[in-house]
Amino acid sequence: MSTAAAHGVHADAHEHHHESFIRKYIFSTDHKMISRQFLITGIVMGVIGMVMSILFRLQLAWPDQKFAILEMLLGRWAKGGILDANFYMALVTIHGTIMVFYVLTAGLSGTFSNLLIPLQCGARDMASPFMNMLSYWFFFISSLVLCWSFFVETGPASAGWTVYPPLSALEKAMPGSGFGMTLWLVAIALFIVSSLLGGINYISTVLNMRTKGMSMNRLPLTIWAFFFTAILGLLSFPVLLGAALFLIFDRSFGTSFYLSDIWLNGVGALENVGGSPILYQHLFWFLGHPEVYIILMPALGITSEVIATNARKPIFGYTAMVISLMGISVLSFIVWGHHMFITGMNPFLGSVFMFLTLVIAVPSAVKVFNYLTTLWRGNIQFTPAMLFAIGLVSFFISGGLTGIYLGNAALDINLHDSYFVVAHFHLVMGSAAIFGMLSGIYHWFPKMFGRLMNNTLGYFHFWLTFIAAYLVFFPMHFMGLAGVPRRYYAFSVIPEFNVWLEVNQLITVAAILAGFAQVLFLWNFFYSIFRGKKSSANPWKANTLEWSTPVEHIHGNWPGEIPTVYRGPYEYSREDREEDYYPQYIPGEDEGHGHDAPKTKTAPVHTEEAPAATGGNVLFSALKKVFGFSPR
Amino acid sequence: MKKMKFGWSGAKLMLLAALLLTATLAPISVFAQADPASDVIPAPKEFSLSTADLVYYAYWVLAALVLLVIVYIFNVGAASEKLTGRTVINWTKVNAWLSIIILVAGGAGVAYELVYHGRYLLPDAASKHGDSIDNMFNWTFGFTFAVFVITEVLLFWFLFKYRTKEGRKAAYYFHNNQLEVIWTVIPAIVLTFLVLRGYSTWHAITQTPEPTAKQIEVFGYQFGWKARYAGEDNKFGEANFNFIDPATNELGLAIKPTVIALRDTLTADTHRLGNDLRNLSAILKKKAEDLSKMSLAADGKAYTDLAQELEDIRNGNKASELRKMMKRKGVQIQRINASLGNQDLFNGAANDDKITTEIHLIKDQPYTFKYRARDVIHSAYMPYFRSQMNVVPGMTTSFTFTPTKTTKQMQDELKNPEFQFYLFCAKICGSAHYNMKIKVVVETESEYNAWLDKQKRVIEPAQPEAPSAPASGTDTTATPKTAKNNNTRPSLAMGH
Repeated sequence: MSTAAAHGVHADAHEHHHESFIRKYIFSTDHKMISRQFLITGIVMGVIGMVMSILFRLQLAWPDQKFAILEMLLGRWAKGGILDANFYMALVTIHGTIMVFYVLTAGLSGTFSNLLIPLQCGARDMASPFMNMLSYWFFFISSLVLCWSFFVETGPASAGWTVYPPLSALEKAMPGSGFGMTLWLVAIALFIVSSLLGGINYISTVLNMRTKGMSMNRLPLTIWAFFFTAILGLLSFPVLLGAALFLIFDRSFGTSFYLSDIWLNGVGALENVGGSPILYQHLFWFLGHPEVYIILMPALGITSEVIATNARKPIFGYTAMVISLMGISVLSFIVWGHHMFITGMNPFLGSVFMFLTLVIAVPSAVKVFNYLTTLWRGNIQFTPAMLFAIGLVSFFISGGLTGIYLGNAALDINLHDSYFVVAHFHLVMGSAAIFGMLSGIYHWFPKMFGRLMNNTLGYFHFWLTFIAAYLVFFPMHFMGLAGVPRRYYAFSVIPEFNVWLEVNQLITVAAILAGFAQVLFLWNFFYSIFRGKKSSANPWKANTLEWSTPVEHIHGNWPGEIPTVYRGPYEYSREDREEDYYPQYIPGEDEGHGHDAPKTKTAPVHTEEAPAATGGNVLFSALKKVFGFSPR
Repeated sequence: MKKMKFGWSGAKLMLLAALLLTATLAPISVFAQADPASDVIPAPKEFSLSTADLVYYAYWVLAALVLLVIVYIFNVGAASEKLTGRTVINWTKVNAWLSIIILVAGGAGVAYELVYHGRYLLPDAASKHGDSIDNMFNWTFGFTFAVFVITEVLLFWFLFKYRTKEGRKAAYYFHNNQLEVIWTVIPAIVLTFLVLRGYSTWHAITQTPEPTAKQIEVFGYQFGWKARYAGEDNKFGEANFNFIDPATNELGLAIKPTVIALRDTLTADTHRLGNDLRNLSAILKKKAEDLSKMSLAADGKAYTDLAQELEDIRNGNKASELRKMMKRKGVQIQRINASLGNQDLFNGAANDDKITTEIHLIKDQPYTFKYRARDVIHSAYMPYFRSQMNVVPGMTTSFTFTPTKTTKQMQDELKNPEFQFYLFCAKICGSAHYNMKIKVVVETESEYNAWLDKQKRVIEPAQPEAPSAPASGTDTTATPKTAKNNNTRPSLAMGH
């Protein structure tokens, strides 16, 4: 702070110097503080979600064992030390909700979009810092509302994280569909508001606030990923808001959007006619599928950045990476039906969705091959961030490939709602995205807190988590293939399922091991915030703009002028340079071409004085490459 | 230095605590397991400290010690690194070798899983279309497994091979059009193949009419299934959710006397509710007296429940609830009345239908399952037949397949005389979701006929001269035995 004041260039920096504690740490409009708030809230929610998963894993592994500790912790939800069936459902539901929305959407995208978009684009803050602050506080209130539902008499929502009506619409259908469900819907509505406020900000900042020289095709892949993620969120979250509102109407005001021809035990024939439960599923998955990519793409962006930096190589095929992100974004809007092959949807529609779904595997494959080629002949630095990024690639492969089974309508008949699905999405969006998030935390921790995390603990954290995650999710494929359905409280009903008891125990032990590994991380994280080794300005010798800011956070990010950008972000290990990196902000004659695919080595790249006001250079050059013309 | 030390000892403590907690939580069965191949259900274990337990705890303590020693070694290493300035632990080497070890161990794990659990990898299909699904599966498995092995091996091999070394500089290699085209086009071709094959398989399963298929209706509800066979007339009776009465007409079939009886019950209920509504103040007084005789200490939940009820009456919740119930029942009565004259609905076809608690199928006979739900979405899953379809309230869904193996055949094949096919729920539907199944028996035609003959008709033809259809409203002989006795039936039937 004092350095900033000493420089005294930016008026804002001075003005905010004397801010009160509340303005600085709580209702802060500084994107760096907001990103830290998102991260810490996300981590807290993540711990809650993880503890829940261990609780229901205990039930699955030892259904008859009485755990006195459970009754101590949960009271009436675990009478006699055995988890209550209704509470099991609640745990599964809230675990899913927390992990999907609160950790991997807000905790991941919220944290790193906030931190990196202004820093890597070269902006002093977000386009609308106030909206950004609101975004966090809506998220925070939403988290509180969701947690509140645990203290409701009938318990939290328990209809699965997808909350399909009529189960979720009818108060008497299950205890969790009472007030807990209302709270769930309110929490999600608040969450959507938060997500929209954030998304609008991210998009406008990327489009309008890039520094001099930062054309769209010089953007780091992180920013591209956050940019597409924000667009996806902006277009799909309102649909979920609509779906949630209809559900609220059905629950509380007697409408029949999703309800028809129902006779409910304890109530009798309901008055509702004319609605369709399938309508909800269409609306839900219209968000739900892009949501998968809202979760995954920021992680992929982080991975691109971390792998290039730590392999000391330019990312292979920058343009292909951007185009594949774009392809994934567009396709993700038209594949939602693959969640509904056997819901009674017209089978012809099923074949259309199958085609579109399998197409999405092509850009995903391109990304994996590009990561591998980036590693090839690299000079790989084993930082914890790098290891987690590698872990992401590994999970992305093994989880992504099983998507080819589930996207195939014919195979989905047998695999739908089985443990195969659980294995698939926990690997490809659960573990992969969490690893992307952890990679990002290890990589940008020096930027966020000015200190370094302990590497040794980081290595332990990585290897334990990596092994445990595979032990947890890999055997689940085989359970699914044998026809074991998900969301079962116990498998005692079908005698054949008992052969899986042993596997369930292995999975639970591995899950506990994974939980234990996170204790190492939490220790490392919170300890390092206060006592970690002080970081230098650019500890990873990275190229991007955020490392040109001072270690101490100042309002407005740069004490003087915002640096100008002279080249792409991935100029590592150039033959003509002694050092193996060439930061974007170092002036130099050579524009660099590492990232700019269509140009040959001899042709100079565009020499832009000012940033392009609208995006799309990459798109245009790609169009030119593919079709031989450009709209310009 | 000092600070770091503090951090490490804290970490060690947490490590130990986490391990001990794990050890306490996890019971001994992890290590002392019965032969997993046997299908014997392990008996629930009581918690007691035996030798096995001690051995088990010893494992954990040992594991904790080993971990502590490792951490300690690294700790000493880090400290001496600082003192001497020499690298004691080369983390690059450790991580590079770990990635190779994990690659090999992971490969072994995958191989083990495939061999050991691979026998469960899509157990042989017991239906005609099941083979085409399995074929599709094998193609997909072939491609994806090859890609899985190649990419994972490359990933960890590169990690090892290109680890940082003194004087190494990475290649400045950022782009190769040809390569990128190759690995875009090859997946595209493979996926095109899979899509086309998948499409033809899906089309054959879902959109190919089976003219010889017999129909079975499967009805899902919280929490169970019922099956319905069309009787001698080979025609299913109509059904409507307004006709459902769990005691007399579980499936809501259009049988006039039963439906009329239901309407009368509903009417009586409405009157009773109306009386309650009018006498709320008297009820309040009586309940308040009851409450004064009870105490929280002695009656516990009964006391709080009654107190809540009183509160509901006082604040008007009770009254509005009663009004809602009356309104709902009124609507149902109206709907029943409106439908009673509909001859297409009450065509008598339901009388000889058979409602069963098991599903019996003839081997090699195509069947179309018609699914109906009473309350929430369920999913009818029969993995051995490769059949799954959601069961959705408000609409009928269906799935057609031909079973090709009898239950007996499967029992012989699996060498498990206890084996049974089941249809079970795969869509979360409430607290007993895990407990919602119906037995499916595949057998020869003669066995099937013998079984079906034993099943009761919905309406037994009690007297030979009784008219079968349309049943007259006043015909008391045609009501099911389980019908709720209702004295008002004749008078209200007159009203019809």
